[in-house]
Amino acid sequence: MRQAAIDKLRAWAARRHGRDALPITISRRRIYILPTRVGLMLALMLVAMLIAALNYNSNLGLAFAFLMTSVALVTMHHCNRNLLGLRVDAAAETDAFAGGEARFEFALRNDSKVDRRDVEVRCMASGAICSVAARSNEAVSVAVPVARRGVVRVSQFELRTRYPFGWFHAWTYVQGSLTAYVAPAALGVRTLPAAAGTGLDSRSELRGDEDFSGLRNYEPGVPLKHMAWKVLARGGEAAVRSYTGLAAQPEWLEWSSLEGRDTEARLSQLCRWVLEGEAARRAYGLRIPGKEIAPSRGPEHRARCLRALAVFGISPAP
Amino acid sequence: MNLKPLALGDLKGIVACLALALAPHLESLPAWVIAAVAVSAALRLELARRGRAAPPRAVRLIVAALAVSLLFLQLRTFNGLSAGTALLALMAGLKLLETDTRRDIYIVTLIIYFVCVSALLQSDSFWLLAYLIGVCWLTSATLLRLTTSLPAPGWPGSLRYAGKLLGQALPLALVFWLFFPRFAGPLWQLPNGGQSAGTGLSDTMSPGDITELAQSDEVAFRVHFAGPVPPSRELYWRGPVMHEFDGHTWKLAYPLSYGAPTLLPQGAAYTYTLSLEPHEHRWVFALDWPSRWDLPRGRLTSDYTLVQPDPVSQPIDVVATSHTRVQSAGTLSAVSRRRDIRLPPDRNPRTLQLARTLRAANPDDSAYVQAVLELFAQQSFYYTLTPPKLSDDSVDEFLFDTKRGFCGHYASAFAALMRAAGIPAHVVTGYYGGTFNRFADYWIVRQSEAHAWDEIWLEGRGWLRIDPTSVIAPERVEHSAGDAAGADDPVAGRWQGHARWLADARLRLDALRQLWRERILLFNQDSQQRLLESFHIPQPDGQKLVLVLTGALVLVLGWLTWTVRRETDPARRDRLSRAYSRLCAKLAAAGIARRAHEGAEDYAARVARVRPDLGSRAAALCRQYSDLRYGAGSSPAAVARFGAEVRAFRPPLKPPGSRASSEI
Repeated sequence: MRQAAIDKLRAWAARRHGRDALPITISRRRIYILPTRVGLMLALMLVAMLIAALNYNSNLGLAFAFLMTSVALVTMHHCNRNLLGLRVDAAAETDAFAGGEARFEFALRNDSKVDRRDVEVRCMASGAICSVAARSNEAVSVAVPVARRGVVRVSQFELRTRYPFGWFHAWTYVQGSLTAYVAPAALGVRTLPAAAGTGLDSRSELRGDEDFSGLRNYEPGVPLKHMAWKVLARGGEAAVRSYTGLAAQPEWLEWSSLEGRDTEARLSQLCRWVLEGEAARRAYGLRIPGKEIAPSRGPEHRARCLRALAVFGISPAP
Repeated sequence: MNLKPLALGDLKGIVACLALALAPHLESLPAWVIAAVAVSAALRLELARRGRAAPPRAVRLIVAALAVSLLFLQLRTFNGLSAGTALLALMAGLKLLETDTRRDIYIVTLIIYFVCVSALLQSDSFWLLAYLIGVCWLTSATLLRLTTSLPAPGWPGSLRYAGKLLGQALPLALVFWLFFPRFAGPLWQLPNGGQSAGTGLSDTMSPGDITELAQSDEVAFRVHFAGPVPPSRELYWRGPVMHEFDGHTWKLAYPLSYGAPTLLPQGAAYTYTLSLEPHEHRWVFALDWPSRWDLPRGRLTSDYTLVQPDPVSQPIDVVATSHTRVQSAGTLSAVSRRRDIRLPPDRNPRTLQLARTLRAANPDDSAYVQAVLELFAQQSFYYTLTPPKLSDDSVDEFLFDTKRGFCGHYASAFAALMRAAGIPAHVVTGYYGGTFNRFADYWIVRQSEAHAWDEIWLEGRGWLRIDPTSVIAPERVEHSAGDAAGADDPVAGRWQGHARWLADARLRLDALRQLWRERILLFNQDSQQRLLESFHIPQPDGQKLVLVLTGALVLVLGWLTWTVRRETDPARRDRLSRAYSRLCAKLAAAGIARRAHEGAEDYAARVARVRPDLGSRAAALCRQYSDLRYGAGSSPAAVARFGAEVRAFRPPLKPPGSRASSEI
């Protein structure tokens, strides 16, 4: 009953505001506010106070009752204000595995001079609470449990608050679309297949971690520990320390090498290999029906592979 | 809803708030209720200190049922103020026992707020209101800390924020208070009780009674004369009239009879407003003798006392008119005569004997009265605040043995002597005189001015007021009881004489108290009408009041919305930033725009390089900004100075002698 009403409201809000381009600033048109259960109890108590004071013809009792009523009204404004003008951005992190949780990252920016306390971001029945101090940013991540691999699409998330006093509940819906890819659970009995040719002679020179060889331009996705912070601090361009390393021959992770098992088991096995390959800092490629990813390594490559595994047989990756 | 368990600190805060809110109720609450609340709070705190949860539910339920039934057995009702407060206090105490989660705290805070109101319902004290608003502030700050699910903000921050909420609520509360329609009477009849009888005169008078009142500084009422003021020797404030005498104590005759015989006014009429403090009796004091009054259900008894149907349990204002000199018209009814010459025949035999002797010598009524008064004046009767205790035959003992007494003794003895001689007489109690407050043009009549005098009926002359005390100690009649006693007591006399500034301070304080009473405590329908009239609203009624209330609420809520929203406006910056942007805009107009990443110092250096002609001035301003922003010596005055200097700074658009400058 209650849930049905909430669903209706959410759909109505989505129709009313349309899709939002993130980041979005929370305007007052989209903030809703209602008293909480405690707020209703307070209202009852205020009525009782008022009747008592009128009955005893007590101007001082009335003064106190009216003061409390006014505090409640002011609190309503402050509860509303707690969300007003917040700037919200959101992103989905890709690193999610079936049976684990998908994390949605939200960035809240507060440009005003008042603190925003106890703002809860809710997304798919999970939530996380944070406070954003005046003129600062706060990142908050909401972990949504995911049972199966695939694509988790969030078309609407919610910001809510009960601050101060918990007498009112203000909330807003943001129609931002977030997509999380949930890779299969990294299972499987087999470890990463050995490289085709091992041994010193087959080593090729790739960008590795072993020995420092110079600086190169920054590119997104580079591990932070490789950043040349000192150069940046001196006022130069962002740079990355480059290392000469010895890496093994690229490895192909083959769908076809896992004959005789069902699809999910095969995907789980491939997922395990991807993670192991990444952990061992080896270059690896992925070959599954309909998709081939050339051997490489690094966070981006890993993400591409995991995403391919996540959406396999479900829908084309957007 | 957040169900985090409570921390010990939070629990301590809420217990402290509850204790502060219950403090004004300590006198009216049954002792065991206070003990129960204290024990459950202590128990809960101790459990929390040891890190243990609240006691099991069954235990709590049994304790609650026991406590509530005990309360009902004791009070027999939950209706009424003291019973309701006791129940609330118990509930709060028991709720503390089960405050496992923050949700339970809400209930306790709601109870705290309600307990605050219930303390105010029968109070008229400014200080209590201020104290309870303080408690409300503290409770709100505690609630603020409790309801946050993140690490709580510090106490100063919480108090500041709660104070801000209260401060913003004040204008709204004022609008509600001023314009919310008041009702003429209570919505339903309240059970009487709980309120103990106030100090003041009662419906009986034993000779020693008024002595106790004479030592009380409490205000009985205040009077403001609209026009001329009667001479102070005529300020007899009439209260209950005593007819029944048992030889020791005078009593009011019940049931009261109404329909006073007409009095013919003999002098000026005095109109005044009498602000009466509650005294829990039905009579309303008035200057002797009242002829008109605006008390809706007030009536005059057959002995000229103004009474209303219900006890005066709240402060009231009465506008009345009185004549201090009157002449009775007509004759005394047989019933009244019989009532006023009755004496217990077996009491005070020596007095009866004395009356017979005197009467034999003075067959004329007037001569007899004169003889009795001379007896009082010539024999060694003393006037004292500490008269000896008297037994059943009080008049005998007083007249023949102790000869020391207060106004009650003399009034009682005189009336007895009159009755013994067949002259109708009764004792009138009330107040005599008053202190004029020259700071606010009104008279203060305190309990210490309580007085008793007599009225006798003389054929052909009607009712006459005789104040036998005035014969014994004339200064007693000129001044208040305290002053008359002060003549006996050199210390008190000197104290009153020398501490004039203290007396003045007391009068000023009383003037404030009277203002508080008039403007706040007695604010009612009429005051609201006058308020609307002062806004030039013709024929104000309830409907117009509601309209004004709505309009004022819309205005104040609009202001509130604007104030609260303005704080979320990201464009709002402080004066310093605004001044700096103005400086940057001026320099940009001169051809050197500040780069987004450029700090004030770098910018100043660049300006100096590109436009040497502006350099020193602009650089100085930029440096000043940076000092004000990041340095220690920032003050509003310095910021204002900086703003003025920026306004005065007018860089020429082109550097002198060059056609254009290129930006570096």
